[in-house]
Amino acid sequence: MDDRRGRFEAQVLPHLDAAYRFARWLSRSPSDADDAVQEAILRAFRAFDSLRGTDTKAWLLTIVRNCHSTALKQQQRRASGPLPEDGDAQMDEAMIATAPDPESAAIRRDDERTFDRLMAALSAEHREVLVLREIEEMDYREIAAVTNLPIGTVMSRLARARAALKTRWLQETGTKPHAMP
Amino acid sequence: MQCPDSLRVQAFFDGEVDAVSAAEIERHTEGCAQCRALLQELERTRTALRQGVTDFRASPALRARISAALDQESIGRAPPRRASARASWRTQPFWLGAVSGLGASAVAAALLFLLLAPLLNNPLVDDLADAHMRSLMPQHLIDVVSTDKHTVKPWFAGHADVSPVVADFGDRGYRLIGGRADYIDHQRSAVVVYQHGAHVINVFSWAADGRSLPKSATRSGFRLLFWRAGDLEYCAVSDTGWDELQGLVALLANLNSSDLPK
Repeated sequence: MDDRRGRFEAQVLPHLDAAYRFARWLSRSPSDADDAVQEAILRAFRAFDSLRGTDTKAWLLTIVRNCHSTALKQQQRRASGPLPEDGDAQMDEAMIATAPDPESAAIRRDDERTFDRLMAALSAEHREVLVLREIEEMDYREIAAVTNLPIGTVMSRLARARAALKTRWLQETGTKPHAMP
Repeated sequence: MQCPDSLRVQAFFDGEVDAVSAAEIERHTEGCAQCRALLQELERTRTALRQGVTDFRASPALRARISAALDQESIGRAPPRRASARASWRTQPFWLGAVSGLGASAVAAALLFLLLAPLLNNPLVDDLADAHMRSLMPQHLIDVVSTDKHTVKPWFAGHADVSPVVADFGDRGYRLIGGRADYIDHQRSAVVVYQHGAHVINVFSWAADGRSLPKSATRSGFRLLFWRAGDLEYCAVSDTGWDELQGLVALLANLNSSDLPK
């Protein structure tokens, strides 16, 4: 194994699980997450010489996020491609929009992980900052770097995301919000 | 109505404020019931989230895929001499150069290479040789250890996408030692592992997709023999001689044809 590959593996691959978790939460699909992470690692490997500084994890997660949004755009382009010419077109589109994805259906069936379901129900923007802060334990500056947002926006979005999660959680457990201390 | 200091309280909770501000915020929360409640909520939600969420991990299959992809990438960066030794689609610029730079013989050679390229440059061949090499590393050879085909075969049902023929030919010198699932060509390939003398023979199998495969190939000192039976492609890989490898393939192919009615 050459030296560059060895350095890459030592410095970047320790963050592979974090990259996968992030991709998994962004896409909510195991296979899409696999694809995004593999693509991200390859891009990271090609760009490895340009990595400066020590924040490898934020750097890698930024690449994962880019790979995910590229894949998402491609999926949307395919989904909104040529539609049938008859009057069913609108109906088809409506069905695509409302059909539950297999992942969330599986989570509903498998009831043991409440917060998987609660997180999946949040908007992508809210879920993203929550994963980076609470699961990956990144600071505001790192979250701002990964999401390409100003720090002030990270703070307000994080506050809204936490409030949204708390509300759903209280609904789930049947507790009324004003019963909180 | 939310306290205007709630974002500062959140920043305090997230450890984002300096000591002076932290002391200020602590004083503030003593007097502000709303911010005290907010701090408790933040703590409660964080604890519940961290405990109640699945800790997803990159699967071994993904790690293997990434390792193989990095192998490809490393080869692409290596000097041309090394790149051509392990042919892949990345060697294209190498033969393009040959066509443009040299005379008729080079053109003829390049044409011949082009004709053979689909067979010689099959990335699947590299994948199989890599998978064989990986299997020889400690702890990688066998997932289910058994000399009994009635143990190995059902194991594949839960761990691989295909169900290949499994048999023990211990009396003919090819001892069944176990099975393994490997990620080959985007599917969970079933691998039956045989021992022949001191040599390990991996027999890979995966769903045929009509793609043309070579009959045999050599990669990194390993020999690969391909055959097809029913809906499955098989490939036996080892560092044994061709005759020894062919011996096992003949036994398996024979079994396949006699097994068909079942």
